[in-house]
Amino acid sequence: MLPTLIVIFNQIAVSEEQGHFKNELRPLLQQYCFDCHSEADAEGGIAFDRYLDSAKVQTDFELWEKVIRLVKQRQMPPADYAELDNQALQKIVSGIEYELSQFDCSVETRPGRVTIRRLNKSEYNNTIRDLTGLDLRLADNFPSDDVGNGFDNIGDVLSLPPILLEKYLDAAEKISTAIISDESIRKTVFPVQPESDSLEDQVAAANANVRQFATRAFRRPLRDDESQRLFQLMYAAWQRDGSAEEIMQTVATAILANPNFLFRVEDDSLVDHEAIENKSAARPLNSYELASRLSYFLWSSMPDDRLFDLASRDELRKREVLIEETKRMLQDSKARALVDNFAGQWLQLRDVERLTPDPSRFPSYTPSLGKAMRKETEEVFVHIVKEDRSILEFLNADYTFLNEPLANHYGIDGVSGGEFRRVALKGGRRGILTHASILTLTSNPTRTSPVKRGKWILENILDEPPPPPPSDVPELEEGGETLGSLREQMEQHRANPSCAVCHRTMDAIGFGLENFDAVGVWRDRDGKELIDSSGQLPGNRDFRGASELMKILAEEKKEAFARCLSEKMLTYALGRGLVSFDRCVINDTVSALNKNDYRFSALVVAVVTSDAFTMREVIAE
Amino acid sequence: MNKKQGSMNRRAVLRGLGLSVGLPWMESVAPATDFQSEGNSSAPRRMAFMFVPNGVHLPDWTPQQTGYSYDLPYILQPLRSVQEDLMVISGLTHDKGRPNGDGAGDHARSASVFLTGSQPRKTNGADIRSGVSVDQVAARLGGQQTRFASLELGCEPGRSAGNCDSGYSCAYSSNISWSSQSTPVGKETNPRNVFERLFGTDQPKERDEEAEKRRALKKSILDFVLDDAKSLQTRLGRNDQRKLEEYLNGVREVERRIERSTGSNDADIELDYPAPKGTPSDYGEHIRLMCDMMVLAFQMDRTRLATFMLADAGSNRSYRQINVADGHHDLSHHRGDASKHKKIREINRFHVQQVAYFLERLKQIPDGPHGNLLDQSMICYGSAISDGDRHNNENLPVILAGGGGGSIDTGRHLRVAAETPMCNLFVSMLERFGTPVDFIGDSTGSLNQLTI
Repeated sequence: MLPTLIVIFNQIAVSEEQGHFKNELRPLLQQYCFDCHSEADAEGGIAFDRYLDSAKVQTDFELWEKVIRLVKQRQMPPADYAELDNQALQKIVSGIEYELSQFDCSVETRPGRVTIRRLNKSEYNNTIRDLTGLDLRLADNFPSDDVGNGFDNIGDVLSLPPILLEKYLDAAEKISTAIISDESIRKTVFPVQPESDSLEDQVAAANANVRQFATRAFRRPLRDDESQRLFQLMYAAWQRDGSAEEIMQTVATAILANPNFLFRVEDDSLVDHEAIENKSAARPLNSYELASRLSYFLWSSMPDDRLFDLASRDELRKREVLIEETKRMLQDSKARALVDNFAGQWLQLRDVERLTPDPSRFPSYTPSLGKAMRKETEEVFVHIVKEDRSILEFLNADYTFLNEPLANHYGIDGVSGGEFRRVALKGGRRGILTHASILTLTSNPTRTSPVKRGKWILENILDEPPPPPPSDVPELEEGGETLGSLREQMEQHRANPSCAVCHRTMDAIGFGLENFDAVGVWRDRDGKELIDSSGQLPGNRDFRGASELMKILAEEKKEAFARCLSEKMLTYALGRGLVSFDRCVINDTVSALNKNDYRFSALVVAVVTSDAFTMREVIAE
Repeated sequence: MNKKQGSMNRRAVLRGLGLSVGLPWMESVAPATDFQSEGNSSAPRRMAFMFVPNGVHLPDWTPQQTGYSYDLPYILQPLRSVQEDLMVISGLTHDKGRPNGDGAGDHARSASVFLTGSQPRKTNGADIRSGVSVDQVAARLGGQQTRFASLELGCEPGRSAGNCDSGYSCAYSSNISWSSQSTPVGKETNPRNVFERLFGTDQPKERDEEAEKRRALKKSILDFVLDDAKSLQTRLGRNDQRKLEEYLNGVREVERRIERSTGSNDADIELDYPAPKGTPSDYGEHIRLMCDMMVLAFQMDRTRLATFMLADAGSNRSYRQINVADGHHDLSHHRGDASKHKKIREINRFHVQQVAYFLERLKQIPDGPHGNLLDQSMICYGSAISDGDRHNNENLPVILAGGGGGSIDTGRHLRVAAETPMCNLFVSMLERFGTPVDFIGDSTGSLNQLTI
């Protein structure tokens, strides 16, 4: 998670003038860090007293990011020295974050370096579908892809164990068999017909077909040596008395099992390494690489003919073309992949169907209702993408999409049948955080958990993940079964100052949603207790119930939300965790949203036109 | 002896007709070690490691007495029929599961440390780093003798969204096998896929020359992609090269397998077990099917190594089948609440019941000159968290079942010195498996109390 530049709710007063470091941050460092980290005894080579008037973020940002990380995780100061209370912790963190926000992005270009990505399961399925026209979904039986930074398309984490390679080989065989044995598929995949029956013409046609197939599979033009090797493979199969079918099948298998197909390669070897004087330099991606980045981001699949065509004419790197294509792709049905893979992971919708609410307490919950819950949130996401609505509608939409069972669940009349349709919400519900999907996801199987709900929203919506509790406090867990005792526990949270800093917000948000039970049904009472869903957010922001809470979030916390969504989307788009320089991209996406009424496309366009997306760092090795 | 006899004998064993004279494992003599040359057999040994998340309720797990004929506590009672075939070991520690300065994330650490004994690097994405796990050490040193070097199984496919645990990549929570420091070995969760991988799908028999031609084509494809991967590797930076190395290893592994299977005709083997239909919705049945897969794999000598995650680290699955509606992880933070203790021990006992099923199945199958599959095996079951509430990593709940080919004196409750590394047990198991190592993870020696 990228350090937040603005800490909501617990925002400390940061002065805009020069003296911030000297007046605000340095005294804290002096109090908590100097004993071990000053010139006299610079533990780990770190001396904070070297910084007199400025944190020198332009050069030393990595140090400060490390400090934030260690302080947030309570690894510093060490436990045997002193434990920070949360107030001091927040002050140090937000102080450093303010300093980092002063970083001048215009100084150098650092787009970062994405580790080579193998296709993950959904990318594999979609790519095969678009490459061959066969919707075989063979990857459904592959082992699941590991998740890093919240997503399953992170190059560093996508490993390739032997069992997966076996599956790739089997799948390649199955696909090539399917291509060969279906006349119409074969003609689409291998469209070139020999001009005559002569061996020469047949070979020429086969050769052309294979080259074309490999070019699309590798998502770039073939090099001459590659064409030759493919030809040799055909020749060898022919020498073994292979039939025409067997020959094509062998080559197709070799292409589909090929690392150039299974991995999305960004090849720096053509760059003149001698010319790189510094440790690193940035290069723009070539058009084909850019086409792949774009298509895998928006479609989780290979580029289509139009993108390939633009790439071959080197048009795609033009900013206006890139923007136009992005908007076209968002309207394409293949953009459904953004819902399945981006929203599915950002909002954890993929997990909804795996939930198991206690049937004795929640008899209305059925697996098919679980599916409907997931679909509701997906439909809202689709609507916001297709209609290019404001992302703030995620928080405050007064509409949703329901079918009859889910409408009954919500107590909304007049919806009949299994079809989902747009429905106006009643007063209590606003936005996706009041969807049954997310409410159930953030509950225990037997009851609601206000702490879980609050924490989830801080982490996934407001980009303010609370630090882990101090070591002397047991895991945050409400003990009792009734609201009464939950409220009592709240009092404990508030009584203990080291808990209060985080729990004030977490608990307030969670209790604001208490009118929804553990499967998202509206309720006025919990057992005998009347529900009190009023609360106060820091800054004396009073609210009564979920819809007022959502209104506050959408109006006053919209920048934090924009930042949070930007970070998630950039991570997903790049397939890597964010690093220091990415803060510059995030600043840009947030301001682009701000200037464009928070429209969804503004975010996507800002992401795909960023340096991080269109360029790559090259390291002299 | 020739292959034909081998498969005939396998068939004989499967039908329960004969003793295992001349089983195929005799074709490949395991490297001689002290343990392999002494004792009652030179039959191959098998190892399996089973992981269970969230610790256990120790008061109902730990036997009161040590040594022989201890009373089985509530959680372990399902093991009555195999009590003489196993050992309960108390006191082992996974120090590298402790924060050691890395802060929160005990659950992710507990899975990644379980078989590696290595402190995982705290990272959400870039540069995941753990250690090579004990099963993979054995696979590397001794796995060449079977079609599959090792088998990795689980019941949960891993979190598909969100953060797994306090800044640790989900790779740490959903894998226990690591073939290198940076490569977790993904697990298979669908019993049907396991079955098909081990025994193939029902394909019509091919004429010999057809089969030969297909093999030659396959070989040419493998050669082709191997060359492409090598040439691609030279064009890439260091991180990318590592990924390509995984690809290369996979191709080489498949090539070895094809060579190993050349000649032995799989179609001759009659397997008296129906192919599983898929993943059953009943969790107990799912676990038992996976156990069957391990039994079959051992029995048919498809592999001698397996790991099995009954659930992923920090799993919050609820256990309806035993009337526990709460999530396992939520419950494990019991804070001393007696009603929660009761539910946890039911979950713990449920898991142990499935282990009992596995051990009983192994015991039913004759193997080696005089014994059964369980006698030849070492099955290690446990958690790398001791108490789910305290999240502590000492005094771990561990069972070692099976006689290790007569090299383990089972039937006892063994209490080892406090802070004895779990990895010392692994050193001893590797010794008995015929793949001795000087150390693994944070081991400080071997565990010499396995025999009296």
